[in-house]
Amino acid sequence: MTATVSSRSIPVERVARRRPPRSRAAAWAAVTVIGFFGLAPIYWLVVTAFTPDDKAFAFPPSLVPTEITFDHFVRLAENEQLFGYLVNSVIVSVVTAVLSVAVSAYMAYAFSKFRYRGRSSLMHLVLASQLFPQALLLVTLYAVFSATGLLGSYTALIVSFTTFTLPLCVWMLKGIFDTVPSTLMEAAAIDGASRWRTLHQIALPLAAPGLVAAGLFAFVRAWNDFIFALTLADPDRQTLPPGLVHTYLGEFQTAWPDLMAASLVVSLPVIAAFMFLQRYLVGGLTAGAVKG
Amino acid sequence: MNGRRLTDGQFAWLLMVPGVALFLAIIAYPLVSALVTGFFEQSLVRPGRSFVGLANFADLLGGDFWPVLSNTLVFTLGATIAPFVIGYALALALDAGLPGWLRGVFLFPWVIPGVVVSFLWLWIFNANYGVLNGLLGTQVSWLGDPVTAMVAVIVTKTWASFPWMMVMLLAGLQTMPKELHEAAAVDGAGAVRRFRSVTVPHMRHIAGIAFLLEFIWNFQHFDTIYVLTGGGPAGATKTFAVAVYDTAFKGFDLGHATALGGLWMLLLLVLMVFYLRKENT
Repeated sequence: MTATVSSRSIPVERVARRRPPRSRAAAWAAVTVIGFFGLAPIYWLVVTAFTPDDKAFAFPPSLVPTEITFDHFVRLAENEQLFGYLVNSVIVSVVTAVLSVAVSAYMAYAFSKFRYRGRSSLMHLVLASQLFPQALLLVTLYAVFSATGLLGSYTALIVSFTTFTLPLCVWMLKGIFDTVPSTLMEAAAIDGASRWRTLHQIALPLAAPGLVAAGLFAFVRAWNDFIFALTLADPDRQTLPPGLVHTYLGEFQTAWPDLMAASLVVSLPVIAAFMFLQRYLVGGLTAGAVKG
Repeated sequence: MNGRRLTDGQFAWLLMVPGVALFLAIIAYPLVSALVTGFFEQSLVRPGRSFVGLANFADLLGGDFWPVLSNTLVFTLGATIAPFVIGYALALALDAGLPGWLRGVFLFPWVIPGVVVSFLWLWIFNANYGVLNGLLGTQVSWLGDPVTAMVAVIVTKTWASFPWMMVMLLAGLQTMPKELHEAAAVDGAGAVRRFRSVTVPHMRHIAGIAFLLEFIWNFQHFDTIYVLTGGGPAGATKTFAVAVYDTAFKGFDLGHATALGGLWMLLLLVLMVFYLRKENT
């Protein structure tokens, strides 16, 4: 079984025609029920973000919007502190993604194309490292950053984010390199290309879409991180997730419509990233969970 | 540099140097160091530490460990079984010939950031203005009662994870040869019988991996619990992740935090061995 199993899409219509109508009715019923559970909260998120404060703080709430406002988004755009969090999020997530892909590409290539002593135990260690508890890692990382004066800096965030993006990228990219035929590399070697040249001029360009996908996944994971950013960053270095918690949840009365508007804005880059990532979904979701 | 003078093995190791170095520095060392700290009395804010042997572990096993373990197990089981069942049902439904775009629509809850999920459900569960109370015509403080708070965090995590289960299980269903189902149907097997005798055996491996991974992730889940309840009310939703975090960063007690983390890690290790075994079959 390969990690890119999802890309093999079976034309559903062909299968559908042979199914009895009764089982399709049952399927629609299941989709409707689960669809309500899955999508009603999203509907509510969007509705609240466009609802004026006095309407949002009415009980019982009106399930259909009676009045629409963009005030919450305007207030968001004018909030300099939030803009600072946004800038931090972009910087830290981009650097984390680039660094992770650069380091893990070489490691993944070694895992994929060579057989050597220590390979399989190291691969298992990388796989298992995704499962180590972050809260525990955080305790030592905090102490180390504190001792080295890095606590609160971008570096602290990038390094701590790399603890989860590195294993993710290594596993994703190993799956990608596995799909690059070894015969191409052998042909290059016969033509006299060195191993470095083969890697840089043949394997990496062929894996380029995969490198982008792995980078996007790393970006999303870094963008979404909460626990490390909450603890390791100075107030002026904080990313959006803990930044929003501090901005809105500390208040006596949370400004829910503002918070929902901010939530929508924070979600947008991630949603955009996933639109590009559809094809790599299963590989990235499991990152080695399904053996590559 | 010409890679040819090296053997393949040497070249491979050369490629891995940056990755392995980073891995040792930021994952392996912190982890080992944390486990060692469990045997010391150490504060987050004051320098110095003193060796106390097993005292931290004895303290924990004499009290705090057990409620945290039970909270973690309740949360983990609930937040794994519910998305598994929902995700499986949805995957079967989508595989029965519904339009393909539905899959993408269902991904939204999983795609949006964890804190956004927490904010959204915090708002839904809000006692005064929340839409849940509005729909039910009640005035329940969902996050203020120990039982409903646990249910609330499980519901929230379930909402965020069922799409992942759906994608994993749907990928498994799509690799199933349709001929098997057709042959079984020709032999007169009904839908339930075909599910039990054809689908379940085919899906056992991927379903097992998806379940176990989700279980491991929930076993160390932090974000939604921390934002929704902070481990409360009265510690009712305090799981390992929240307890370790609070002990270290609110109680400043690194010794007890890492000792609790060590016990937690031990349990995780058992799960990981299961996982790696399954992964290899």
